[in-house]
Amino acid sequence: MTPNDKDIIYTMRKDAERGFRLLMKSYKEPLYWHIRRLVVNHDDAQDAAQEAFIRIFRSFGQYNEQNSLRAWLFRIVTNEALRLIERRRADTMPIDGVFDAQADSYINYSDLEAVRLQKAILSLPPKQQLAFNLRYYDEMDYDEIAQIADTTAASVKASYYVAKEKIIKFMTSND
Amino acid sequence: MEKTFDFEQVGKRMPYDVPNDFFDKFEENMMVEVKSRRSKKPLRIALSSILAVAAAIALFFVMQPLLPKSNVDDFESVELAFNNLSTDDQDFLIQVYEDEDILMNDFEFNL
Repeated sequence: MTPNDKDIIYTMRKDAERGFRLLMKSYKEPLYWHIRRLVVNHDDAQDAAQEAFIRIFRSFGQYNEQNSLRAWLFRIVTNEALRLIERRRADTMPIDGVFDAQADSYINYSDLEAVRLQKAILSLPPKQQLAFNLRYYDEMDYDEIAQIADTTAASVKASYYVAKEKIIKFMTSND
Repeated sequence: MEKTFDFEQVGKRMPYDVPNDFFDKFEENMMVEVKSRRSKKPLRIALSSILAVAAAIALFFVMQPLLPKSNVDDFESVELAFNNLSTDDQDFLIQVYEDEDILMNDFEFNL
């Protein structure tokens, strides 16, 4: 638990609105980017982030201080992003097809390497995607990722290494 | 020679972007949303209280034919249930029913 997290928790309990402002200051960007990497499209990421932050505010009373605040927050936004992906799947838009649909003006298609890396990540099963993103981009340890993914640290570690191998294979293929 | 990929080539660079001032506007919108939800909370509690009491009263009338007959008068039972509510809930119910003109006292008999 970082000193900043302690401050957020204390303030949330004392004055929810002021505490929420502190929480937003620290976490709005990492949580948004985490969602964005999963759902790709900016509008979808914004919708999921809004829903997730409302959920965080409403259910903060259920947060157990024995656990990492960051893990609790990431778990809520991950669930919200996965819900959105499920809805989209029902609308027959595959998640890795969003790039090809070119419907989002907030994607820089000229950065070919970066686009290709995201496509490689999006081709992974959700569990591996989650393990890779949280380790690679958010630099979390396996225990914290395990709390978010509701699994064991050993399982996360295995998922991360499998994901990394698959990404390397994707990036070095000629397609 | 087998090709390999160096993650350093891309690092944490992503092809994603956001509109100008997105995060500042997002934070402000969320604070407005949270404040408006907090101000709606007492209304939600009041509505759930009404629903709970209405459901209890409806259940009482639905279940009554199935219950063994007692000598207690219907109105006495309702009165008893009403008396068991907190003062706040009693006041609230009276206010609601008065507002909606459905108390017997407010009926006008046009015979």
